[in-house]
Amino acid sequence: MTARIPLGVALAAAMCGAGGMAHGQSMSPMRGEVVSFTDAFAVRVFPANPYGRRIDVDVRVYDQAFAPVEARVMPGRFALAAGASRSVLVVVPFAGMPVRKIRICTESVPFPDNQTRIRAQICGKFIAVRR
Amino acid sequence: MLYRLALALALAGLPPCGFAYADGSSAAVTFDATVAAVCTLAVNSNGTMVASADLGTLSSKLAGGAPALVSLSTTGGVDLSVDPVTVVSTPAADVTATAWTPTYSATGAHPIAETAAPTALAGPGTSSVSVDLVGTKSGPARFAEGTYQATVTVRCE
Repeated sequence: MTARIPLGVALAAAMCGAGGMAHGQSMSPMRGEVVSFTDAFAVRVFPANPYGRRIDVDVRVYDQAFAPVEARVMPGRFALAAGASRSVLVVVPFAGMPVRKIRICTESVPFPDNQTRIRAQICGKFIAVRR
Repeated sequence: MLYRLALALALAGLPPCGFAYADGSSAAVTFDATVAAVCTLAVNSNGTMVASADLGTLSSKLAGGAPALVSLSTTGGVDLSVDPVTVVSTPAADVTATAWTPTYSATGAHPIAETAAPTALAGPGTSSVSVDLVGTKSGPARFAEGTYQATVTVRCE
């Protein structure tokens, strides 16, 4: 019995990741400054899938400390075909602040049934000033 | 004879060698390009962790384990980092805390020794990034039988 436990743990704990998974992404632009005359500002980013298979993508907005920021992301989650790119519009309220520094991140969505456990994240840094 | 031929051609307004010269002007054209900071990450393979003999550690660095491999391509002017592990799936029998430590290293255009801290990638190029993950139990706690899964976020910003 004592011999079975380590073996069982070793086998069960093995985090299988093989299987030829290859999903990644890029995003442009990765830097930007926005001047807005309203209570909100908008940034358009272009996530891209430069690889040979479809990927699922999340676009999320964070502040400088990587706390989630309330924003409208259109669309927030979508699939990108191999080699495809699409525009995503992000509208962020100033929330009473004269300047907002945010990150807009494109994240690959790990496939839960394939134990994909690396999440690739591309983040752009944007500064918005309210006039 | 040749002198007379050249003289006759010159008087006729033709070049001596018989080539017709085009009368024209030259102009330079310019090509402009602006390459914005771009970073591309591609997950080539996920990692495999195995348990240590004393069951106190799950690690991709142990014999039988393997790091996750990620391809990176960038124009430079970006930072590479890994996040602390926040998403972990453990068997129900595992009721003790685990300290998860992700690290990474890179070869290629951006050689990076193993680190857990962010690294600035100043120059352009492609690199292969290896991501390791180690889970450690403290004190008498040990890993239980079952399946463990943890998500490591690799970030380029």
